[in-house]
Amino acid sequence: MAKTKDKIKYGLLRLIDLSGFKIFDPPVRLIFGEDPQKQIRDIAKFMVLPIIFLTICIWIWHVVAPTHKTKSGAVPTPKKVLVAYSENSRYGEREQEKVKDFELTGELRIARIAEVEVKLVELEKEAAEKQEVSAKASKEGAAIIQSQIAPLKIQLSQLKGEVKIAKQERKTALETLAAKVAAKEESADAILTLVKQQALTTAAEKERKKTLEAQIKGIRDDPPESIKAAQLAANKVEDEIQHYKKRLDILNGNKEVRKAALLAKVSEAKAELAATADPEVVLAKSKAVLTNSKNADGIEAQKFAPNATIAWQTKRSLATVFVGFFIAAAVAIPLGIMCGLNRIVMACLTPIISIFRPVSPVVWLLIFQIIVGAFFLPDPAKHPLFVTLNSTYWFGWIKNPIAFLNTNPAMIFSACTVAMCALWPALVNTALGVSAIDKDHLNVARVLKLGFWSRLFKIIIPSALPLVFAGLRISLGVGWMVLIAAEALSSSDGLGKFVWDEYQNGSSQSFANIFLACFIVGIIGFFLDRIMIILQKLVSFDDGSATA
Amino acid sequence: MARPRRNTNPAMSYLEIDHVDVSFGPISDRTHVLSDIHLSVEENEFVAVIGFSGAGKSTLMSLLCGLQKPTKGEVRMDGNIIKEPGPDLGMMFQNYSLLPWLTVNENIRLAVKTVFPKLSKKEITEKIAHYVEMVKLSHAGDKLPHELSGGMRQRASLARTLSLDPKVLLLDEPLSALDALTRSELQEQILNIWEKEKRTVVMITNDVDEAVLMADRIVPLTMGPSATLADAYPVNMARPRDHHTLNDHPEFKRLKTEITSYMMGLNKEARAISKDVVPMPNVRPKDFSPPTAAPRLKNKVSQPTSAA
Repeated sequence: MAKTKDKIKYGLLRLIDLSGFKIFDPPVRLIFGEDPQKQIRDIAKFMVLPIIFLTICIWIWHVVAPTHKTKSGAVPTPKKVLVAYSENSRYGEREQEKVKDFELTGELRIARIAEVEVKLVELEKEAAEKQEVSAKASKEGAAIIQSQIAPLKIQLSQLKGEVKIAKQERKTALETLAAKVAAKEESADAILTLVKQQALTTAAEKERKKTLEAQIKGIRDDPPESIKAAQLAANKVEDEIQHYKKRLDILNGNKEVRKAALLAKVSEAKAELAATADPEVVLAKSKAVLTNSKNADGIEAQKFAPNATIAWQTKRSLATVFVGFFIAAAVAIPLGIMCGLNRIVMACLTPIISIFRPVSPVVWLLIFQIIVGAFFLPDPAKHPLFVTLNSTYWFGWIKNPIAFLNTNPAMIFSACTVAMCALWPALVNTALGVSAIDKDHLNVARVLKLGFWSRLFKIIIPSALPLVFAGLRISLGVGWMVLIAAEALSSSDGLGKFVWDEYQNGSSQSFANIFLACFIVGIIGFFLDRIMIILQKLVSFDDGSATA
Repeated sequence: MARPRRNTNPAMSYLEIDHVDVSFGPISDRTHVLSDIHLSVEENEFVAVIGFSGAGKSTLMSLLCGLQKPTKGEVRMDGNIIKEPGPDLGMMFQNYSLLPWLTVNENIRLAVKTVFPKLSKKEITEKIAHYVEMVKLSHAGDKLPHELSGGMRQRASLARTLSLDPKVLLLDEPLSALDALTRSELQEQILNIWEKEKRTVVMITNDVDEAVLMADRIVPLTMGPSATLADAYPVNMARPRDHHTLNDHPEFKRLKTEITSYMMGLNKEARAISKDVVPMPNVRPKDFSPPTAAPRLKNKVSQPTSAA
């Protein structure tokens, strides 16, 4: 019994060590009752304190963010980012619902229609309530605003009156003086001074008026939170209603319905074909039969094209980064091995590596857009590569698992950019790993008289693997970082484009969405790195020689 | 002191170093590591080469296994010149040189598979089991080298070397990195194996006791640079030699004293040389400084002098 317990314990600990989540080591030991005092101390030091620190950070964010007003509204608070997350996931669910609705058939479709209609009735009721609340709130709000504005308005009209009188007075003063100057009773200098003075007073009056007007406008533009909240709630329900209406449309005109309509047309045309005696009608109807049955067949492959959701953009980004990463690895590892094996190859490649490594990903993206883009001319959508990658079935029967990615040239450019930037760390590390191989191991190969290939695969590559994986880990990190920028610039659907679009459209949600994307990118980057650490640990043969 | 007879009939011997020089570096600044080395080893003879650290022992070993080419002279085995390393010359390296990503069994499997490509899978497995058993490592066959102790690693290395079925076994200070207890245990194991499967063995060591215990003949290597082999001491003691009673054996005592005092003399000589030599700008003083003997050896050396 104790033995199995130990087995589980050390298995867990090894798993923790392998995945690099060292902070979970004390709790596991505590659960198994190993030196509880020490474990509790460790938990306090390495888990509780960091959590407290993070909480403080989030609290500072929560407090400071609303105080900074920007063109796109206040900086979003943690809560707003969470709301953005839930709204984005709801958006994603809706798109999924639409896709499913499009595929529904028979009884299920009818049942779903009934469901949606019931829901619509409910929602409409709710919407009416919310509208009422909102109207009430805005009425109250308007009253509050009015009460705030009223004294200011009075001030303004008073000011206007004063200004009018003052202006008249100044005018008369000026005219009197002008008459005196004309009569040579006063010097010309006097009138110049007066004009200057009066200009200054006018400017000051205008300034006062402007300030007041701005205050009034500020109050009007920034309605109380209660109005905003009520309006938001009403809008949300309205949104939901729109969604269900859309679903109803889809359900009433989905794949099955469309196909049935086409088939009906076919049979109708056939019937007419059989009944008619007019040769022209025969010709027209036979054509109609053919086109309609062809269209009916074509509908089978049709799919509802959902809008871009953040989940889909994330998947697409991951696909792009892995394509780029594997291209980089496929080029870098063989080249690195050659560099490590042969000093002449190394000398030949060193200038290329040194010159191209510091080049910015943005430059690479532009170059690839031009060079690689040329292969897809004149119509990228009809290029065999994209036709294959986006077709629903391969060879007519294998379901294409990556059809949903909607591959396009921009994605290829982004992947190429990722590959170009991720190439260097893997290349340099592989070369280092191969050239730093232990001389004793090579002596073993000489004693055993291993041939070139077995020496390569049995001695050199295994010995270099830990460093190769260290390089690949850096490459994947670089690739992920570069990808987001490349997507933003090339408008390739993905998290980068998501951020860029949000920045451009500037709705009330977009600022929070950018923050959300920032966290998604960070968390995914973290997990990619973890995966590479695990792989690296699996291939390294010495105890913890190649850890983070 | 009766000087042993110098081997003057090399033509008949199995393994032979024939007036070999080894030097490194450019002609203007050449370091002569070994000069005029001459050694003949009979078939199934166990020869120990004893010398101070840095004298060029490992170079001598590389020469024998073909990793190092002589600058002058020839190294022959069974009449053929040794040009490159191969499985016939089973070298057991000082620092184990096991492949760290393979387990003990896999390390041996790689060697066996490469050297005997015609064996069936079953035969290979049997062979591996045989050699792992021979060095008493059956319980650790599936362990990676870094999970083993120094002694176990050296045994694994020995098993791998033996699995090549080499004609000559070359042991390059095989036990110098081990603690005294493991060392004496392994000495006995090597001796047992050698007595069971007779082979030509050349062992390099810096331990006089070890040399006397194991070898048929002991050849001292003089101080570097330009080290050469001195006259050999034959060990005329019956086998199997018992590790425990050996200390009281008169022949053992005599040989140990003789060899130790000879080695001590070398040390003094080297010191004297280094005193006479004025360091020149072009000369690296490091090459002429007195050798830094391993701590163990120093202890051994000091014992007889204090007794005398």
